Amino acid sequence: MSELSVSSEPIVSARGLSKSFGRKQILHSLDFDIPPGRIYGLIGHNGAGKTTTLNAMLGLTSYEGTIRVLGEDPFAKRAKLMENVAFISDVASLPRFLRVRELFALLTNIHPNFSPDKARQFLEGTDIKPEMKIRTLSKGMIAQLHLAVVMAIDAKLLVLDEPTLGLDITYRKRFYRRLLEDYMTEERTLIITTHQVDEIEFMLSDIMFIRDGELILHMQMETVSEKFTQLVANEPEAQAAARAFNPVYEETRFGQTVFIFDGVERDKLEPLGRLSTPTISDLFVALMQRPTANPETAR
Amino acid sequence: MKAFFALVHREFIEHRGAFLIAPLVLVVVVFALTLLAFSVDRLDTRMTGQLSFVVPNWAFEAGFAGLAGGWLAYLGFVLFFYCADGFAADKRNNAMLFWKSMPVTDFKVLLSKIVAALTILPGSVFGVALISLLILFGVTYVTATIAGPGTPELLGTIVGIYGQMAWVFLVVLVCGLLWYLPYMALVGAMGSAVGRWAIPLALLLPTVLSALEWVTLGGIHPFDTHTWHYLTYRSTLPVSEAHLDRVFEGQEPFNSALFVTDFLQKFDWLQVGIGAVFALVVLYLAAEYRRRAPAN
Repeated sequence: MSELSVSSEPIVSARGLSKSFGRKQILHSLDFDIPPGRIYGLIGHNGAGKTTTLNAMLGLTSYEGTIRVLGEDPFAKRAKLMENVAFISDVASLPRFLRVRELFALLTNIHPNFSPDKARQFLEGTDIKPEMKIRTLSKGMIAQLHLAVVMAIDAKLLVLDEPTLGLDITYRKRFYRRLLEDYMTEERTLIITTHQVDEIEFMLSDIMFIRDGELILHMQMETVSEKFTQLVANEPEAQAAARAFNPVYEETRFGQTVFIFDGVERDKLEPLGRLSTPTISDLFVALMQRPTANPETAR
Repeated sequence: MKAFFALVHREFIEHRGAFLIAPLVLVVVVFALTLLAFSVDRLDTRMTGQLSFVVPNWAFEAGFAGLAGGWLAYLGFVLFFYCADGFAADKRNNAMLFWKSMPVTDFKVLLSKIVAALTILPGSVFGVALISLLILFGVTYVTATIAGPGTPELLGTIVGIYGQMAWVFLVVLVCGLLWYLPYMALVGAMGSAVGRWAIPLALLLPTVLSALEWVTLGGIHPFDTHTWHYLTYRSTLPVSEAHLDRVFEGQEPFNSALFVTDFLQKFDWLQVGIGAVFALVVLYLAAEYRRRAPAN
């Protein structure tokens, strides 16, 4: 499934990555490489295995198979790895008993790559003050503070697992803009999961779709636009002709029928209706359909 | 080491309520009550009456020992709850993922907690205790001065007693912490795994172990086994009482150097060593559990 041209040592490399909780297998032998300098979107339903995959990368859970992050086994070398990896798995996880200045002072001593000056700089223009206790901050302010903390860490890999969960649209937009403008460089790699895929589409360089613990799509965004085509066809004859090209998805919206095709040349589809590149959320819906709405009973 | 000290400091910040603020509030309240009692003439005559015929040294030494004993009891209480609750605080506070994102091992985090329980946290209570004892001695001296018997010689005696008793207090405190280290580590390790359930488990575990020996190896009853006798011995601080007995019987005055020398010589250092090894082992096991347990 991977169509990446790996130009240098991958930041993350997984081979046969599997994970079970009791008898229930969560990850089914995943193979993937994540090269440096990319922004990856890891997308899937609730319970698809996104967080488990990230936890395996971050050394937060044991696993079967092999995974190397910056050349290290994350479960065996988590502490060492965290010198070059930063992550937000839950914006509510900042220690609430600390004041902001106490947090920065502790991190200065605990994390060799943390810069308190950078963190303070990232907080300029916000309502967060050094004397404030974290427990008194609003959810949005805590997210801003957490982002300032991770952006002040000179890391090679940043992992964000639902970093904007529960935040309003203003905070979410500001969060991603800050991340892109102030943090991302060619040397840094970002992996992000979110359910609000449309909000991060503009910044992604690659996407990975995960369904029921299996990687069903791993692709550069440029390739997505080359490979997948969305067709809106109104006439019954055009719709019938479109079906002959085996669309991966078909849906009728407000009287219009929308098809999504995988690997069909645009020249052949052009006469049938209006063509476009599907958005990530359209592609997600197209490729992630389940036999039923309930994933448990579908297995 | 910088990171380790920062982790120990973190423990102090998180638990300063129990180990610094609450003791300070207690001291301020008691001091305010004392001043109030004096201001309404409730204490001055009785103090004056006693000070006119008791031996001042004995009164000050006993007063120091009594109050220091109270502070040791307080410390034992809060340390027990710190170990049972503080070792699981990262998970309870939903901050586990944040600390896991730091370049420190789980073993180092747990080690910092037990080191805090041996150093900065009891040190904080010790500091407040010394302040409270200073206030006690100060109030007593001022009262004695107002009543009559207070002289510069008495002040010199009080200062000497304070210094000697503070030294004794420190030695007993340090030895006590070392003696009870395996208990603290065990409760902390259980706390890492089961959170606050470590509190009832810590009380239940000795009984279960003793009952296990009684069931498998026999004995009169579950509380008359080798395990129970060992745990009973290991639960009691081995204080040398030879000198203290002579002091209480009025045969000789209290001598801090003699007491400390005798105390340290008769202290069971082998058990302290065994306890330290045991503490490291259970902390390692707890760290491995914490490493494998789901963080979110």
